[in-house]
Amino acid sequence: MSDVASLRPLAAVLVSAVAIPLIVGSYRRQNLREFWTILVALAKVAIVGSMVPGVLDGTVYVTDIGAYVADISFVLRVDPLGLLFGLLASALWVITSFYSIGYMRGLSEDSQTRYFASFAASVSTAIGVAFAGNLITLFIFYELLTVATYPLVAHDETAEARAAGRKYLTYTFIGGVAVLAGTVLVFSMAGTTSFTPGGIGELADADPALARLAFALLAGGFGVKAALMPMHSWLPDAMVAPTPVSGLLHAVAVVKSGVFGIARVTLDVFGPGTMQDLGVGLPLAAIAAFTLLTASIIALRKDNLKRRLAYSTISQLSYIVLGLGILSGEAVVGALLHIPAHAFMKLTLFFCAGAIHVETHTDDISDMAGIGKRMPLTMVAFAVAAAGMAGIPLVAGFVSKWYLLIGSVSAGQEIFAVVLLISGMLNIAYFWPIVYQAFFESPDAHDEKPLIESPFGGLFGSESGESTPVDGTTVKADGGDTVNDDDHDEHDDADHETDTDVDHDDHYHHGGPPAGGWDERNWHGSESTWFMLGPILAAATGALALGIVPATALFLEIVQEVAINVGVMP
Amino acid sequence: MTDAIVLAVVVPIFGAMLSMIAGLRFDRSGWTVAALTCLAQLGTALAILYTVVQDGTQRYELAGFTPPEGIELVADGLSAPVIVLVATVSLAVVVYARQAGPRGNAFYTLYLLLVGGLAGVTLTGDIFNMYVFLEITGLAAYALVASGDSTESAVAGLKYLILGTIGASLFLLGAGYAYIATGTLNMVDLSEQLAAAGYGSRLVLGAFGLLVTGLLVKVALFPVHTWQPGAYSNAPDSVSVYISALVSTVAAYAVARVLYTVFTPEFFTANPIAQTALVYAAAVSIIAGSVLAVLQRDLKRMLAYSSVSQFGMVVAGFALLSQSAAVGGVIHLIGHAVLKGGLFAAVGVVAAQTGARSIDEYAGLASRAPLSAGLVAVLGLSLVGVPPSVGFVGKFYIAVGAVETGTWPIAAVIFASTVLTLAYFARIIERMYFAQPAVEPSSDGAVAVDVGDGVSADGGEEIHSSAGASPEMVAVVVVAAVAAVTLGFAGSAIESFLEPTLVEVFG
Amino acid sequence: MIDLLTTKYNYIAAILLMAGGLYMVIGDRNLVKKVIGMNLFQTGIFLFFITTAFVEGGEPPVIQEGVETYVSPLPHVLILTAIVVGVSLTAVALTLIIRIYSEYGTLREDVITEMETDD
Repeated sequence: MSDVASLRPLAAVLVSAVAIPLIVGSYRRQNLREFWTILVALAKVAIVGSMVPGVLDGTVYVTDIGAYVADISFVLRVDPLGLLFGLLASALWVITSFYSIGYMRGLSEDSQTRYFASFAASVSTAIGVAFAGNLITLFIFYELLTVATYPLVAHDETAEARAAGRKYLTYTFIGGVAVLAGTVLVFSMAGTTSFTPGGIGELADADPALARLAFALLAGGFGVKAALMPMHSWLPDAMVAPTPVSGLLHAVAVVKSGVFGIARVTLDVFGPGTMQDLGVGLPLAAIAAFTLLTASIIALRKDNLKRRLAYSTISQLSYIVLGLGILSGEAVVGALLHIPAHAFMKLTLFFCAGAIHVETHTDDISDMAGIGKRMPLTMVAFAVAAAGMAGIPLVAGFVSKWYLLIGSVSAGQEIFAVVLLISGMLNIAYFWPIVYQAFFESPDAHDEKPLIESPFGGLFGSESGESTPVDGTTVKADGGDTVNDDDHDEHDDADHETDTDVDHDDHYHHGGPPAGGWDERNWHGSESTWFMLGPILAAATGALALGIVPATALFLEIVQEVAINVGVMP
Repeated sequence: MTDAIVLAVVVPIFGAMLSMIAGLRFDRSGWTVAALTCLAQLGTALAILYTVVQDGTQRYELAGFTPPEGIELVADGLSAPVIVLVATVSLAVVVYARQAGPRGNAFYTLYLLLVGGLAGVTLTGDIFNMYVFLEITGLAAYALVASGDSTESAVAGLKYLILGTIGASLFLLGAGYAYIATGTLNMVDLSEQLAAAGYGSRLVLGAFGLLVTGLLVKVALFPVHTWQPGAYSNAPDSVSVYISALVSTVAAYAVARVLYTVFTPEFFTANPIAQTALVYAAAVSIIAGSVLAVLQRDLKRMLAYSSVSQFGMVVAGFALLSQSAAVGGVIHLIGHAVLKGGLFAAVGVVAAQTGARSIDEYAGLASRAPLSAGLVAVLGLSLVGVPPSVGFVGKFYIAVGAVETGTWPIAAVIFASTVLTLAYFARIIERMYFAQPAVEPSSDGAVAVDVGDGVSADGGEEIHSSAGASPEMVAVVVVAAVAAVTLGFAGSAIESFLEPTLVEVFG
Repeated sequence: MIDLLTTKYNYIAAILLMAGGLYMVIGDRNLVKKVIGMNLFQTGIFLFFITTAFVEGGEPPVIQEGVETYVSPLPHVLILTAIVVGVSLTAVALTLIIRIYSEYGTLREDVITEMETDD
């Protein structure tokens, strides 16, 4: 590896920060404002992409801005691990930007300028998290990311959104405090916080009790954003945010920054060797295993689609943490590869949920029987991504889970392999009914879904009461709601790029199929606008590419580079 | 260049007299005199800073009497940044007060007296002289607080006066103890003589307790903070800005002076209980101040209690007696002055623009006054300690110090203070951006803000400030917000600037 | 104990003055009496200082013919300054009290607090 001084890392971070004043300045002219968003998204992915060949050849691009505090530099370094996250975030931002435009205009949301400005700020800071060269720089961007995403979570300005925002801030700031405390401990023990592949050497000789404390603080702090149980509950609540935000939170920026932070801590701060000596890998893996099983079971019982996806995210994130805790070569590769794999799949799923919401105002799974007729392309994409989540071959999720399985077996921790397999089955259990009823059932003739609907503990009533739909509707899980026909006639016209008929009142609209069942739409995109369909298909294609040709889809190569640098792979 | 040291103190006092004399002939000369005086003082402050950077510590013997008998003024790594802070904030508040009021020559006379007092406390190298300047500062501050035209302001001023006087008297008594023990009042000389008298001596311990307690009353640490919320919230807006930014700040600086220059770390090695008591008092103040701040409905009161908490942090930084923590203490001292001054200034701007003063009235402010709301958010988040702002940098150094010295409970409190501060700031930000106004503020735009006619004492001139905030007022807040972020990147520079002075202290 | 009383009575008087003054500041509800208490407290400190200046057999520090020992002049100088400060403080305090009285019509702190909370 050779360090090369370059301004490109800084440019990659700043390019979307520069967009903020432009976006705010052009608040009167929507098209110009969205033009900035797209332009900057493309510029960013170009800048990040231009560093890919160099990084794969072993070059590390460094921007050193100078000492920030206590002789710790404010430094951006693009190493393979940083590039993995940076490339992912910048690539998915392009997709999400297009989708946001379709979504926000489709719903004529308020405060769109604030939304797009915060969005740009979030991505800017997420890239900062990716490229940070030491713990302090990482912490700076990590906290700024919290601040930048807060307006997105609380976007709706309803009491529920405010409460979710408050919870989000509280959880993540407490996490931030733990990260800072861990950082200070590392600094006082090692005298440096710079990321070193394979771990900071001085930590190996430090007082083991303090080192364990530092690890617990760092992993726990980042674990808040990574939604490790029991620090996960902000994530389902944050589903009150607009769907592109959920997509961003889940796939692109926030939770991934938490997982990425854990990856940095395990691989580049403590390093596999020191972690082994301290014996902290196993507890981390155990927490992750617990989280991924529990979250999967909870997901079974969530009728609100976005909430089910949220618990699915909690579970999937723990795959990554689990791999990082197991620490064998294949497990690390699988874990890191699951970062992009999960991102593409989960983004697809959220975009589908958002498209269904914009087009039909349906949020609850029990109302979605037969929806495959109304939104064929969307539901196909949904099916593909769901299959990937379950680890079915030819989709991205399979490759990463395969590595994880091999890794856990080769590390002699077969128990985790069993956990992974059980979780895969649970994934099928909560995704398959959605896909099945969408295509093979109709609103007036659909079966019970035994595993997810009938009581297995006799507590079904309280469970469904918990999953109050996010937008304030009072739809019961059985779909027995009243539907206003006139409303639906309006929405069926909603194929145009901007739909002026739909406004905020629709938040009180009851979702579900219209009285005569779903009308049938063709397969050429008449189900929605291409602003939304395009991103959905792009994300689904990405998920497939990662699954079918992992070796040429860049990310595997980057991940292997990371594993070699860290020393867990020859 | 040592003349600059004495000029920094004399210029404002002279300006105060000039303002009074000119006021006999001209009705409106006060602002001009104050602005020119503060500009001149800023010049001298920068000259001091430059000299200290170039040549190290500078001393000036007043009236040619040699210390330790004579009084000397000292500019070193600790006092130079504080005097620049004093001069800068003084100038900014004069700019702010032009529109925000209070107006009239009496106000500016008192104001310049206060500036002179603060400069004196900052630069003096003599403990009795420090008492005198503390009292000058106090006198001017009591009168300024009472110059608000709400009925509560006089009560708040009197309460401040009584407690402030008690505090200063304790300080004086402490100086007396030290004098009995050593026969000297010069700080540097005291540090040697105290060591000679023996750190275990009851006189020395008494002197320490009285000096520090007296100063802590002025700093307004919990539980001797009771004068402070009333004084901050009932004073005219410009005065709130000034005293919140500087008065407690300079007192906290005086604490550092007493700890480092007079008693030196060796005193604490001999008496660890003294350090423990101080550090825990500071930690209690951090927590109690935050809790009290959460309970407030009035924004100025909330900010006042927030200062109780933040000064706990500063004092903890000084009292941890580690070089990193001391650097953090100074950075947080400066940072807090900028942030809190900026926040009070922003509150004044918002009040002038919309009439909103309570936290509930801030609902939906972002749509009514987007710039002000944004500035409040930036300053608030900086105070919470979101990096890379200055609020984070100070906290970081203090935390490093706490960890290095192994003072774990304090380290925990300092880390937790982020969340504690968030507890009272998040709701403001939430209300400003994500809530609809529940009740329309009394009147929109044209509000008779109670900042205009503060000084009716000097011949009953009743000038109501015209509606709205002037561009200068907004500019002052913008400068504070920009400084909050840019100062964050000055952490390492401040550290290396302080290093020679602190190395002298800590060895 | 007796010894202390006979040799250090000045200090004891000073401390009594301080304690009495402090008690008045805290305990009395009348604002004027609070200020008086504050003055007592300060006066106690002044006396304490002056006492420390005493030298056995010393004369007042004004140079005279044939006097060898003087009491220490420095505390006298300092206390002169402190007295000036104290007088100014009292003046400001009384000004404020006049204003409070004209606005509230009372000097009792508890009544004023009550009126403030009623607003």
